[in-house]
Amino acid sequence: MAPGDANQVGTVVKYELLKYLRSRRLFILIILIVLINSLFLVIPPATGSQYPKDPTEFTQNMLGFVNLLIIISATFFGADAIVSEFEQKTGFFLFPNPIKRHIIITGKFIGSALVSFGGLALYYIIIVLSVRFIDGSIAANVGLSFSYACLYLLAVVALAYLFSAIMKSSVTSLVLTFFMLFMILPIVDAVGTVAKFKPWFSITFASGIITDILKQPYPKDAVQTIPLVANATRATGPTSISIAQYYPVINTSIIVMVAYLVVAFILSLIIARMRQM
Amino acid sequence: MNEAIVIENLRKTYGTFVALNDLNLEVEPGICVGYLGPNGAGKTTTIKILTNLLKATSGNAYLNGANVVEDPKAALENVGAVVETPEFYPQLTPNECLAYIGHIRGMSASAIQERSQEVLDEVKLPDWADQRTGKFSKGMKQRLAIAQALLHEPSILILDEPTTGLDPRGMFEVREIVKQLKATDITILMSSHLLNEVQEVCDKVAVIDKGTLLAYDTVENLSVMKENSVSITTLDPIKPDKFRELKTLHNVTSVKRVETLELVLSFKGAAKEQAQLLEDVIKTGVDVVSYKPTQSVIEEIYLRLIPEEEAV
Repeated sequence: MAPGDANQVGTVVKYELLKYLRSRRLFILIILIVLINSLFLVIPPATGSQYPKDPTEFTQNMLGFVNLLIIISATFFGADAIVSEFEQKTGFFLFPNPIKRHIIITGKFIGSALVSFGGLALYYIIIVLSVRFIDGSIAANVGLSFSYACLYLLAVVALAYLFSAIMKSSVTSLVLTFFMLFMILPIVDAVGTVAKFKPWFSITFASGIITDILKQPYPKDAVQTIPLVANATRATGPTSISIAQYYPVINTSIIVMVAYLVVAFILSLIIARMRQM
Repeated sequence: MNEAIVIENLRKTYGTFVALNDLNLEVEPGICVGYLGPNGAGKTTTIKILTNLLKATSGNAYLNGANVVEDPKAALENVGAVVETPEFYPQLTPNECLAYIGHIRGMSASAIQERSQEVLDEVKLPDWADQRTGKFSKGMKQRLAIAQALLHEPSILILDEPTTGLDPRGMFEVREIVKQLKATDITILMSSHLLNEVQEVCDKVAVIDKGTLLAYDTVENLSVMKENSVSITTLDPIKPDKFRELKTLHNVTSVKRVETLELVLSFKGAAKEQAQLLEDVIKTGVDVVSYKPTQSVIEEIYLRLIPEEEAV
């Protein structure tokens, strides 16, 4: 008799983690984490400069790559999780069994999220220990930053799963996930600063809370007016330009991330269930 | 419902293309059925619907009484399947792949360990049990696929061209496995392009074309009252009187000389009549060196049911 759904989710998670633990991708991610953190720790003494004295500033500097790391994790462990079952034909092994398709996808998602959490936790642990060792204390709100990073990670893994459910090729899904999160959405965010609209709905904009929460006080939106010297002497044309500096509101950003997570994950389940081998 | 597999008005369309055209088939428990048809006839589509890899457009399919369309989890409870040549996760070993499936099916750890060893022995993969599958050949993956299908000792086994990708020895071994399984009360539905394989292994044959079932019966019943032919090689050239005598034998419809020492005898009937004919030929005093059918019975049936332009 086949066990209950919860039990089967556990089985899928277990073997997903085993697959990831033996994969080259996890090895690459760990190398990246160690390399990124090493740069921040090795370069200052090597160039004769000082480490930042303020633990908050030091932590902010070291967390500069957290978004990239989360995007890479989502791409590595989510972007081809569904499509590969169809493209690589591993679905012929797994699907003709007494297990519901959405249970398989849920188990895979939890596996992807757990292995990504592992990488993220390692990144934060190295940062916190380094800052503690060098500056003697840790930045306030680093725990909150980690919590927001975890939520963002879940949301982008769900988005990666959605692309993976839709796409027919693993490569397309991997490329789309990475460039959507690393370039396309950040471009939309950047356009907002010039066009003066706040892209609060963008998941990458919302991810700003991961590092902004470390700033004391929490930054507020601002519009900066820059005079145009060349045009000031002429009668026509603008004499200044204004650039908006928007910061994500914490509560709104949390809601945006949860919305991305829930909608993207549910859509990926529905599409994966409808998809046929 | 006593039948192991019941397919009721099963229909699958892709746009305007009809892959399965209200297919009906009932397979009794404990028999081995060969599922035959040309490429694109709907064999794999049927098997994919039975194994929950495809959704039917309409109709129902029952495995051990559970509707696979409505409740695939219950329907696949006691079913093992090999569909196409499945790929395995390259990071996992055969033992781990089998444990994965075993846990999904609710088997205990000790049962998984015991059965894994048995099925890997059966498919001749025991030495590879702890090697990752990433570098396995297609044949090895096919063997592992058969092993995972047998792991939980299913009452229904669905095989989609199980000898594809195997070398001659591998094909022989798979046929032997299927023959051994027939000694148990397992129900086997096996699609294949290899007609001799089906004739050798299966109790019944289902022939499908354009998504419609053309015939479903035992090989013997399908070949009754049909003309077959045998090729006879003799020790010495046949003399005219013997040649005339052969023509008069019971059920013989014609005799043709192919070579000096080779004749082709056409006769009405099937295996039983073929056996009787051999006795009658020997009784005429002809020294028979070899005696064999010009085509297998199943090949004759297949070619009769499937029009020339479609047969592959």
